[in-house]
Amino acid sequence: MTRYLGRRAVELVIVFLGVTLIVFLMVFALPGDPIAALGGDRPLPANVIAELRGRYHLDEPVLQQYLRYLGGLFTGDLGTTFQGQSVADRMSSRWPVTITLALTAWGIEVVLGVLLGLFAGLRKGRFGDRLVLAGTILATSVPVFVVAVTAQLVLGVRLGWFPVAGTADGWPSGYLLPATVVAIFGLASVTRLMRGSVIDTLNSDFVRTLRAKGLRERRVVGVHVMRNSALPVMTYLAIDLGYLLGGTVVVEGVFNLPGVGQLLFQAIRTHEGPTVVGVSTALILIFLLTNLVVDLLSSVLDPRIRHE
Amino acid sequence: MSRTRLRLAAGALVIAVALTACGSGGSDPDGSTDAGGPTAAISVAITDPVQLIPGRQTVAYDFNMAVWAPLTWVDDAGETSMLAAESIESEDATTWTITLQDGWTFQDGTPVTAQSYVDSWNAVAYGPNAWENSGQLANVVGYTDLNPAEGEPATTEMSGLTVVDDLTFTVELTGPDGQFPMQVSQGQTAMYPMPESAFDDFDAYNTHPVGNGPFQLTNDYVENESLVVERYDDYAGTEPTVDRITFVPYTDTTTAYTDVQAGNIDIAGVPAARLPQASADFGDRLYSFEAAGISYLGLPLTDPRYADVRVRQAISMAIDRDTINEVIYGGTFTPATALTPAVEAGTPEGICGEYCEYDPEAAKALLDEAGGFDGTIDIYYPGGSGLDDLYNAIANNLRQNLGVEAVATPSTDWAEFYDTRLAGNLTGPFFSRWGALYPSQQNTLRAFYVENGGCANCIPYYEPEVAELIAAADAEVEPDAAAEAYAAVQERIIQDFPAPPLFFETYSYVTSERVAELPTSAVGNPTYTAVVLNEGA
Repeated sequence: MTRYLGRRAVELVIVFLGVTLIVFLMVFALPGDPIAALGGDRPLPANVIAELRGRYHLDEPVLQQYLRYLGGLFTGDLGTTFQGQSVADRMSSRWPVTITLALTAWGIEVVLGVLLGLFAGLRKGRFGDRLVLAGTILATSVPVFVVAVTAQLVLGVRLGWFPVAGTADGWPSGYLLPATVVAIFGLASVTRLMRGSVIDTLNSDFVRTLRAKGLRERRVVGVHVMRNSALPVMTYLAIDLGYLLGGTVVVEGVFNLPGVGQLLFQAIRTHEGPTVVGVSTALILIFLLTNLVVDLLSSVLDPRIRHE
Repeated sequence: MSRTRLRLAAGALVIAVALTACGSGGSDPDGSTDAGGPTAAISVAITDPVQLIPGRQTVAYDFNMAVWAPLTWVDDAGETSMLAAESIESEDATTWTITLQDGWTFQDGTPVTAQSYVDSWNAVAYGPNAWENSGQLANVVGYTDLNPAEGEPATTEMSGLTVVDDLTFTVELTGPDGQFPMQVSQGQTAMYPMPESAFDDFDAYNTHPVGNGPFQLTNDYVENESLVVERYDDYAGTEPTVDRITFVPYTDTTTAYTDVQAGNIDIAGVPAARLPQASADFGDRLYSFEAAGISYLGLPLTDPRYADVRVRQAISMAIDRDTINEVIYGGTFTPATALTPAVEAGTPEGICGEYCEYDPEAAKALLDEAGGFDGTIDIYYPGGSGLDDLYNAIANNLRQNLGVEAVATPSTDWAEFYDTRLAGNLTGPFFSRWGALYPSQQNTLRAFYVENGGCANCIPYYEPEVAELIAAADAEVEPDAAAEAYAAVQERIIQDFPAPPLFFETYSYVTSERVAELPTSAVGNPTYTAVVLNEGA
């Protein structure tokens, strides 16, 4: 187990270095001078540009810039934006928003997805099952952007049930609508996955045995079927948490939530290397860590899985 | 929220009133229903500004105009009048004497003096500070000393600025410039004064700026959080009509627009994508302010295919500006008929004549007369800025009306487009626009037709004769004479017809039902200090 963890930790470091370097190079390769574009279509005076390029070391070769950035990281300095803000500060004020949004969405996926999947799986082929399946097809086929704008217009503007934008209302009312929109795609997947898994488990020999020895149906489903069906769903849910954290750009924009998705999007548009690298590295680390946790948890759910 | 919450609040109020009525036996016959008090508050959607200091801000004009007062004010008719200045005078248009009004204070209580202005301008212009708006002071004598081509500047002060007494200072310019009084009006924020405390720590000052204007900031600036400004009681200028303005940052202007629809916020700019429907959505709560912005279709004048003036004129006549305006801008823009925006005083509207009018047959005939066009007209514009419809429409116009292959290609983003245009590497027509910070023909003409005048390579046409004519017009102090001189410059340029002007721009805003009237100035921004609210709003 310790060796396994050690190996995973080494993997983490390698991925971290690789990702930061690749992202850094990619931002550097973007065409156009970010400093010259800082003033929009009103040009900055030449010496302002020169001064700023020097201040943010943009006049150095890219590898030197990268090493400088890495050196900063080890002293806990995530760098600054081209307007002199600390990247760490900008990120720390935005993580809570994105994490709240992603966890709320994830909660919706877990609770609704598992329940709906269980419901459909137990009623395979009947009306309720068909209805759920049709719903999941609809949910996966409509683009997130359309869902977000429609929900905002109908539920926010017309009916006034939810705030249109912003986090001023706090959790939950300020996050409920955007989180639902974010969750819709994953919710459909979880539902279908759970349904399939439940159907498989119900057909397996051990369930027949349990039923044959007279165990109550509630216990059969509530404990044995649930637990055995949960494994594939859980793997998916873990991967999805990483996706949710990084994939909220559109929804954060539509609902004016100042999260990391927006930060990343803006940073890419303004070629803010340190911000792009900082955010994407953090996202990838979260992704890797959640996967590690799932791998460890899977052996709890299914003792046949061993980590050597 | 709001709607439900308002309903709840209203419900609570009714219950509370009913309860008091029961309990107190009507001791308060008037009923204190104005629970909000007499405070008139508005909320305004903004882009998160990051930089609030006037010498640095690039997207915080609204906030700056609330917290500071400019030396002069340009009203909605384009007339310049004194605001924080008592007078701005000059004999030769080169050395200007600015006298300040007495009794003005910053919101920290310290007096606004001539020294405040001189210190602020020096700080803005100081090269190593690298402040974004330092270019607004480039014509002051000594600016180059603070911005040497190499190395650190030897001084921290511009020699062209001299304090005469507490309320008077002189400004020496590098050449005569009769438009100087307008150059210190509200849009040129680099000219705003800063109090002494600002100079100790600009980062701290940016977090909590203090100005000389009608409103003071009540909270510290935190990224992506609202800025709340309240009436500054000792403000020496005209009292504002509202007591409090809350500036709410939005990452997506479309969301701000939707939020105004829902009544959660009072005023927001209209994003390009919403212009066609804004009138239907908001009716007379849509305000389209004539602004000092103009767009052109820039042409690659070094390419021999565009060398014949008739080719350029044919391209201009093949563009259906009216239809494009209706479809893309919801009719809020005005097809351009001159080389500077109509809002700029003395602009010779109609000077472009037939060449700015849509006439496909004449365009085709003119192109044929010039020997036709070889190859593809390859239009290039900044991607991701909502300009796709415009340039695709223009490409369609050219293809259909001139019988020439025409395509519109976006760049990845603004930075890429800007680099390519700066380098002059364009092979076809391209995006060109300029929004003037002070509504004088001078600003627009300089930007487009003087090398390094502002809009770099927007129209790569830099005739020495035109530059001389502009300089001669600059020397005119009398406004009408200056306007006429600038109009004469346009007369000269139009002979060469370097590029087709497209539209006089407007800046469009929508308001909630609480707002009765949103006034503006010739700069094109709303004047929030004079917003009129509806009764009971």
